[in-house]
Amino acid sequence: MNQPSNPEIPPATAFHPNGPKPATIPAALASDDEVQTASNTRKRKRLSRWFYVLCVAIASISVVVLVVLLVSIGIQGHSKISPDLVNNAHSELEPEQSGMRPAVIGSLLVCGICALAALPLGIGTAIFLEEFKPTHWWLRKLHGFIQLNIANLAGVPSIVFGLLGLTVFVYMFNLFGQIQVNKPSGLELFGVQHYYQVLSLEPGQTILIPQTDMEQKTITIDRPIQGMDADGNLFDIARWDRKSGPKPTDRSERLRTVKEGAVGGSYSQREWYYFRLPFGRSFLAAGLTLSLVILPVIIISAQEALRSVSPSLREAALGLGATKWQATRDVCLPAALPGIMTGAILAIGRSIGEAAPVLVVLGAAVAKNGGPENLMDSAVTMPVLIYNWAGRPQDVYQQLAAAAIIVLLIVLLVLNSVAIYVRQKVQSAS
Amino acid sequence: MKSRHPIATVAVMAAVVLLIGCDSSPKSDPATSAGGSPASTLVGDIKIDGSSTVQPISDAIREGFIKIHPGVKVSVGGEGTGNGFKEFYGKATDISDASRPIKVGEYEKCEAAGVEFVELAIAYDGLTIVVNPQNDWVQSLSIEQLQKIFNGDSAAKKWSDVDPSWPDQEIKIFSPGTGSGTYDYFKEVVAEDDTLRGDMTLNEDDNVLVQGVAGNKFSIGFFGVAYYAQNSEILRAVPVINPEIDEPVLPTSDNIASGKYAPFSRPLFIYVSAESLNRAEVQTFVEFYLENVSTLCAEGKVDYVQLPESIFERTLQNFDAVATGTHFVDAQGQSRKGSFAELFTDKNLNSK
Repeated sequence: MNQPSNPEIPPATAFHPNGPKPATIPAALASDDEVQTASNTRKRKRLSRWFYVLCVAIASISVVVLVVLLVSIGIQGHSKISPDLVNNAHSELEPEQSGMRPAVIGSLLVCGICALAALPLGIGTAIFLEEFKPTHWWLRKLHGFIQLNIANLAGVPSIVFGLLGLTVFVYMFNLFGQIQVNKPSGLELFGVQHYYQVLSLEPGQTILIPQTDMEQKTITIDRPIQGMDADGNLFDIARWDRKSGPKPTDRSERLRTVKEGAVGGSYSQREWYYFRLPFGRSFLAAGLTLSLVILPVIIISAQEALRSVSPSLREAALGLGATKWQATRDVCLPAALPGIMTGAILAIGRSIGEAAPVLVVLGAAVAKNGGPENLMDSAVTMPVLIYNWAGRPQDVYQQLAAAAIIVLLIVLLVLNSVAIYVRQKVQSAS
Repeated sequence: MKSRHPIATVAVMAAVVLLIGCDSSPKSDPATSAGGSPASTLVGDIKIDGSSTVQPISDAIREGFIKIHPGVKVSVGGEGTGNGFKEFYGKATDISDASRPIKVGEYEKCEAAGVEFVELAIAYDGLTIVVNPQNDWVQSLSIEQLQKIFNGDSAAKKWSDVDPSWPDQEIKIFSPGTGSGTYDYFKEVVAEDDTLRGDMTLNEDDNVLVQGVAGNKFSIGFFGVAYYAQNSEILRAVPVINPEIDEPVLPTSDNIASGKYAPFSRPLFIYVSAESLNRAEVQTFVEFYLENVSTLCAEGKVDYVQLPESIFERTLQNFDAVATGTHFVDAQGQSRKGSFAELFTDKNLNSK
C-alpha cells in the first residue's frame, strides 16, 4: 500500500526491459514526490505508534489484573498481617491469634525435597538428551521415547501427578503393607524404637517399657516387668492394687508404680532420621510428588538452555581433545547454567504454590504445631492451609486466608530473588 | 569471593535454604509448662480423620489437649465421613469423625476387618435450610414440600410446582457434595430410599453454597448451622415443620438441643477404635474430649449445639464401659429407623 503509484507514467514504458530506454528519468521517478513520501512516513509512524500502544495495553492488562488481585487481597488481609501470623500455629480456639508458622516451614521443606530430587534428575536428563545423542539404534529409540514422553508429561494436570505420587510414594504399590495404627508401620529401616506406654500412679506421668515382641500390641502389667526411666535405665516396675493397701504417697515411688493389671499400648519413638518404606503421608512423599510435577518443565528448559550454547564453543573444546563429558562439564554446563537456573526458578516457584497434589498426598489436616520432626512426619503446607481457611465460615479465617496468600507471595518472591541473585553471581563468575 | 565451581555455589545455596526451612524451634521445656506442676510425660501419635463438619471440634479439643500433654501428636484430617470410615476400617486411624451414624456397609467392613469401636455422640448440628432474604413467599417448609423440591428426577422445576401461589420461577438449588455427611444425612431424611435430584449445584465448599443462595432470589440450599450463623445477614433460615407437633421450628440452639428442630437436628459422632483405647494417650485424649466438648459448644468456641444431658450420659457410659458396637444397625444387619434419641439407648447397642 505504500508503493508510490503514479498514473502519469505507465510502468510499461518506464520499466519494460525490451522497450527503448528513456534518455532521462522522469522527475517524478528521480526524486520522490515529497508530499507523498511525507504522508507515507506519517502513516508508517502512526501504525508503529498504534502497535506500540497495543503492546503496552496488552502488557498492562496483565499487570492490572495482578494489581487488582493484590489490592483486593491486601484490603482483605492487611489487618491480619502481624508477627502472630508467622510465629503461631493454626488455632481453633483463638482464631485471632492463628498463624501459619508450621505451614511456612512445611512448604519450604517440601519445596527443598522437591528441588533436591528434581534438579539433578532434570538436568541430568537434559544433558543426556542434548549432549549425548546416541548412535546405537536402541539407545536412539530410548532417546526418542524419553523425549516424546517428557513433551507429553509437561501438559498433564498436577492432580494426576498427585494420584501417581499417592500410589508410588505414599503406598509404594502396597509392597510393604499399609501403614496402620497399633502396629509398627511398613518396613522400618532405622531410627525407631518401640515401647509400651503405661500410666503411672502419678497423674500425667507414664512409664515406657521396651517392646520386644512386635506382634503383641498391648501389654497387661500382671507380672514383674522392667520399665525405662527418663535416662534410659531399666528399673523394676512396682505394682499396686487396692487390696495391697493405700496408694504410695512418695512422688518418686508413685512414678515407678502402676496399677495391677494396667494396660499399655505400643508407642514408637522416632529419631529425626527415622526411615521406613512405604513413605506414607510424609513430607518426603509430598516433595517427591511435586518433583514429578516440575520435572518436565526443568528438563525442557534445561534442554533449551543447552541447545542455545554456541556450537563453536563445544566444537572448540572437542577439537582441543576434550572428551564429550569434559566438554559438557567444563564448557556447555557453565555456559547454559543461567538458562537452566531460570527454568528451575520458575519450576520451583510453581511447586511452592501447588495445592492439588499436596492435598492428595498429605491430606487435609492443618492443625500442626511445628514443622515435620522426622523424615516420615506429615507436614502442613501453605496452599493447603489457605485452602482450608478460605473454606471456613468465620470472617476472621477469610482474612487470615488473604493474609496467608500475601505471606506465600512474599516467600515466593524471596526464594526467587535469592535464586536470581545466585544466578547473577554464577554468571559473573564463569 | 568468586567461586570457581558455580554448581557448588548453587548446591550450597540450596542447602542453606533447606536449613532455614528446618524446624529449629525448641521443644517446649517440660519443667516450665503447665503452670508449675510437672508437665505430662505422655507421648504418642493419635490419628483422626473423617467428617469435615466435626474437624473443627476435634481440632479445638486437640489444641486444648496438647497444651497439657505436649508430647502427644494429634493429627486431624477432614476428608469426609465416608472416606474417614474407609480409613478407619483400613486401620489407618484411631478415631473417626462422623457427621452421621455409621452405615450398614461400613459396619460390616469394620466387622470383617476386626475393627471394634466405641460409638460416642458428642454434639448436635442443625442442618439448616436457607433461602435468599428477598424470598418473601416461603414462610415455612414441610417435609412433603422439601421432598417435592429435592426428591428424585420428577422434582419440582419451578416454585409454582411446589405451591401454586408461589412465583412461576425456576428453583436454583445449592447442595453440599455427595461425599459429605451433610448430603448423606439430608438424603436420608428427605429421600429415604429414593435419591436426591441430580440437577443441583453441588459443591464441597460451603462458602460457595452461601454465595450461591445469597446471590439469587429464587435459590434454596442447605448446610450445617455454623455456615448459617456466620452469614445470617445475607441468608434466611426457613423454619421446618416438625411432623410430630406440626408447627414450624427455626434452627436455634435451643430448638436443636431440645430435639424440637426435627428431623434436621443431626448428631455428630466420634468412633474410637477399641484397640487404640488400650493406649494410654488415646484413652486420655478421648477422656479429655468428652470432658470438654460440651463446654466448647456452650461457650460458642465451636458453632455446634451441646447434647442434652440424658443423651450425653449414654455417650459417657459407652466410653466408661468400653461398650463396643453401634446403636444404628440391628443384629440382622439392617439399619434401624427412628429418631436419634430413641435409637441411642443401651438396649439398641448391637455388639458382636
